[in-house]
Amino acid sequence: MLQLILFNVFNGLIVGAFYALMALGLSLIINLSGVINFAHGGFLALGAYLAYSLMPLVGFWGALVVAPLLTAALGLAIERLLIRRVYGRDPLYSLLLTFGLAYILEDVTRYIWGPQSLPYPIPAVLTRPLSTQFFFLTGYRLFMVALVGLAVAALFFVLGRTRLGIRIRAGTLDLETVSALGVNVRVLRNLNFGLGIYLAGLAGVLAAGMLGLQPTIGTSLIMPSFVAIIVGGLGSLPGTLLGGLLIGVVSGLATVFLPSASEAVIYVMMGLVLLLRPRGLLGEEGRLK
Amino acid sequence: MNDANRSATPGRRTVLRAALAVGAANLAPPFILSARGEQPVLIGLCNPLTGTYAGVGKNELSGCELAVTQINGKGGILGRPVELRVEDSTSGDAGTAVQKARKLIERDKVDFLLGNVNSALALAMAQVSNEKNILHIVPGGHTDAITGATCHWNVFRVCNATQMEANASAQQLIEKAGRKWYYITPDYAFGHTLQAALEKAAERLGGTKVGADLAPLGTTDFSSYLIKAQAANPEVIIFLPQGDDMVNALKQAVQFGLDKRIHLAGAQQELESLEGLPPEARIGSWVFEWYWKQPGVPHVAEFVEAIRKKTGKVPTARTWFGFVSTWSCALAAQAAKSMDAPKMAKALGGMTLPPEIALVPDPALYRAEDHQLVASLFVGNAQAGGTDPEDLFNVSRVVRGADVAGRVEDSPCKMVWPS
Repeated sequence: MLQLILFNVFNGLIVGAFYALMALGLSLIINLSGVINFAHGGFLALGAYLAYSLMPLVGFWGALVVAPLLTAALGLAIERLLIRRVYGRDPLYSLLLTFGLAYILEDVTRYIWGPQSLPYPIPAVLTRPLSTQFFFLTGYRLFMVALVGLAVAALFFVLGRTRLGIRIRAGTLDLETVSALGVNVRVLRNLNFGLGIYLAGLAGVLAAGMLGLQPTIGTSLIMPSFVAIIVGGLGSLPGTLLGGLLIGVVSGLATVFLPSASEAVIYVMMGLVLLLRPRGLLGEEGRLK
Repeated sequence: MNDANRSATPGRRTVLRAALAVGAANLAPPFILSARGEQPVLIGLCNPLTGTYAGVGKNELSGCELAVTQINGKGGILGRPVELRVEDSTSGDAGTAVQKARKLIERDKVDFLLGNVNSALALAMAQVSNEKNILHIVPGGHTDAITGATCHWNVFRVCNATQMEANASAQQLIEKAGRKWYYITPDYAFGHTLQAALEKAAERLGGTKVGADLAPLGTTDFSSYLIKAQAANPEVIIFLPQGDDMVNALKQAVQFGLDKRIHLAGAQQELESLEGLPPEARIGSWVFEWYWKQPGVPHVAEFVEAIRKKTGKVPTARTWFGFVSTWSCALAAQAAKSMDAPKMAKALGGMTLPPEIALVPDPALYRAEDHQLVASLFVGNAQAGGTDPEDLFNVSRVVRGADVAGRVEDSPCKMVWPS
């Protein structure tokens, strides 16, 4: 029993790392632009399918690099054309816009690549489990965790050390002042959106290797990311990271004791956090509306 | 300073509300297709076109469309042309399915209703069709109740009841794989009845259950289930999820190398799922309800050719379900020489389908007592690739539907006819 619980905690961390990657992109966009991007799952699916189509041309590793960049480029264009128009308005506008966009993206993938699942081949080196005892630690899953770790480290480096990152963080705190200081807020938001979508695209390619491709892949993965943000605390990126990991572990543990509740349990956890600590685990006080 | 530059971080409540809204709204994507004609006979198909079952739903649709073309080519139904009206039921929302079924019946005034892939949705739709006295054919919803406890005089089913699949697969599994079974079961009507039927069938043959887990529909990550299953030390892990869930579960099991130590198997398997798997994960013992390679069975090759021409792919069991369902409407009307639903239902009950529609080696018969079609089941193993890239299943035995359907006398179905 103890072993079962330990296995599930480790396994939950692996799954949670993936949720965190998706939630971080979502969180970045919410924090700076105030847009709750429901189309995030759609971008994720698109990243996955782009990688699928690119793979015959550039191989697995090439697709892993190129597909998220292409997804981010599309994100930049969509921000420029559509999302930009709803900044500063009632959140309902951006909700409706991104919600519609989510359906459009899902149906576009279904139209282009078909409704049926497609297998996404991964290099043989990554497919083997490392040992029979710890069979759930496959090369691919460890690679995924390492890559998520790398992406998170890079993200925090960009936010902490670069001019762009410092501006994004400053804008998150007080966009008016940042704007008054001469920073081009339009460009800042555009780049920030692209960065968020890049993370979605990367999550998509990683998910494809783990789960294969389905047009619904984004929709099925986006809800836990929202929960991760709320549990971790809105406005806090470390909180989002923590929220994602927690969700993975809690839902893994639920499978040990009450498997049919393994999906519901993350919402119960969200409810508890909201009751006991409404700002979220690492959320800051005073940023509530 | 304009509005656009203000800090507009939405509050936690907004995110929360929005998250709830997207959860609810996901269940109801609208999708409408329609056609116009003069006094045609209308067949309404309310089936998933989005969500988990979009792939199989689309194949059922292709089968329906081919049948409609053939029926019209042979003079239509009672001399009238036939048209198909299609609605997206979603993959899991019974409310939407019922609403769309009502729309087809009340507004479009369809003469026949077809659907649904999802058993729970099929049951909900059957209530509506029964209330409205419409002949309703369920192409591919498997739960026993449809032709069992909640059978209706107006409802017929083409695919097998879960109990039939369980009976057909249990024997091969016990003989070839082992007696200690662990179940991973989707948490809805179909999964529950299939697991219960398998347990019953296994018990009769000396098999035991060492554990079982219910996985919510739409589960993407099965790793924690697999960890638990492996810890119970079974000889066979029985995978009962369908569609994308099946693909995810099997793929992860193979990534974990479980196939090297434990026999992976299940009852129902579909070509759609095997196509979605990488070749190394196309493994295990399963039951197919229809297969496109049936050497020597008349008319199958023509059907395969026609679907290949239409869709570029071979027909699956789903295509066959749609095809047979649609043809059943025409056969019922022709036999009854009427469009009156009770008369058509009487005519269809007890009917043996002609071979160009049945497309199976055994006689395909709608049992008069419970309206279940009994045809053939194909027991065998998944394979990475046979003689054809789409030949992903190796049939080891064809089981007569009549042998696994159970006796009519034991069926809980009590049919009440309109007076």
